[in-house]
Amino acid sequence: MLHANKLCFFSVTVSLFVLSSILMLSVSGTISQKEAVLSVSEAEQSVVRAYKAVLDAERVGANVSSLLVSLNNATGLLSEARMSIETGNFEKAVRFAALSSEVGNGVGSEAERLTVEASQTHAANSWWSLVESGVVVVVVLCASVLGYRYFKRRYYMRLLKMRPRVG
Amino acid sequence: MRFQNYRTLFRVAGLTCVLLAVYPALSTVVTFPEGGERFSELWLLGPGHMAENYPFNVRVGEQYSIYLGLGNHMGSSMYYVIYVRFRNQTQPVPNVTISMPSSLPSLYEFRAAVLDGDTWEKLVTFSVLEASRCENSSFVNRLVINDRAVLVNSSAIWDSENRGFYYQLFFELWVYNVAGSRFQFHDRFVGIWLNMTG
Repeated sequence: MLHANKLCFFSVTVSLFVLSSILMLSVSGTISQKEAVLSVSEAEQSVVRAYKAVLDAERVGANVSSLLVSLNNATGLLSEARMSIETGNFEKAVRFAALSSEVGNGVGSEAERLTVEASQTHAANSWWSLVESGVVVVVVLCASVLGYRYFKRRYYMRLLKMRPRVG
Repeated sequence: MRFQNYRTLFRVAGLTCVLLAVYPALSTVVTFPEGGERFSELWLLGPGHMAENYPFNVRVGEQYSIYLGLGNHMGSSMYYVIYVRFRNQTQPVPNVTISMPSSLPSLYEFRAAVLDGDTWEKLVTFSVLEASRCENSSFVNRLVINDRAVLVNSSAIWDSENRGFYYQLFFELWVYNVAGSRFQFHDRFVGIWLNMTG
C-alpha cells in the first residue's frame, strides 16, 4: 500500500515537473519571439535615424562616403535579423539586430559630428565668399564709373575736334 | 554710334561683371535647382558579369548565380530595399504604371545605402532545393537563396507554346521616403525566367 502511494506521489511529481517545463519552454519561446521583433524594430529605427543623420551631413557638404560603408554594414545586419525572424531563428535575429543597432548608432553619432564640422566650415567659407564678392563688386563698380568717365571725356573731346562738313 | 548707346553698353557690362562677382557668394546661400532627371537603376547581369548567359534551364540541386546591381541618380544618398520574389506565369508582376508592388511574399531581401552617382552590386546565388512534377504540373517547394533555404510552394502548368514549366525570380526595388518615414515601391523590378523542365 505504502509502495503504491509512493509510486503515485512520484508519478504526480514527475508529471507536474514535465508540465511546468513545457509551460516554461513555451513562455520563454514567446518572449524570445517578442524580443526578436522588438530588437529588429529598434534596429530599423536606429538605421533610419543613422540614414537621416547621413542625409543632413551630406546636405551641409560633408564627405559621407565612409559613413555609407558603415551604414551598409548596419543594413546588411538588419536584413539578416529580419530574415532570421521569418525562419524562426529568434536568437540569431536578436544578435544581428543588436549588432545592427550598434553600428547604426555609431553611424548616427559620427554623422552628427560631421554635420557640425561641415556646418562650421560652410559658415566660414560663406563669410569669406561674401567678403571676396563684396570687394570684387566694389572694384568692378569703381572701375566701371572711372572707365565710363574716361570714355565720356574722350568721346566729347573727339566730338569737339570734329569739323562740320557742309554738303 | 550715339553716346546713349555707349552708356547702355557700359551699364550692361558693369551689371554682368557684378553678377559674376556675386555668384560664388550667392551660391553658398541660395540653392540653385539641379537639372536632369532623377532616377534609380536596377539591373541583373549573368555569372560572367555580362548581360548574357543568364540561368534559364534549371535543375534541382544545381547552383546558379547572377549579379544584382543598383545605381543611384536621385540627387542625394538613398536607402533602398530589394525584395526577392518568385512567381509562376499566371501570378501578377508589379504594376509600375500605378506603383503597385507584387502581393507575393518576399523570399529574401537586400538593403543598401547608396551615394548619389554611385552603384551597389551583390552576387546572388540560388538553387532549387525541392521540386516535383506530376503529369503537366510542376511544383517548386523550396529554394536556396544566398545559402538561406526559403519556402516557396509555387506551381506551374505545362506551357505547350514555349514547351516548359516557367517560373520567374524577380527583384523589386523599394526606397525609403524620408517625408513619409516609410519604404515605398520605387516602380522598378527586374527578373529572370527559369524553365524547370530539366
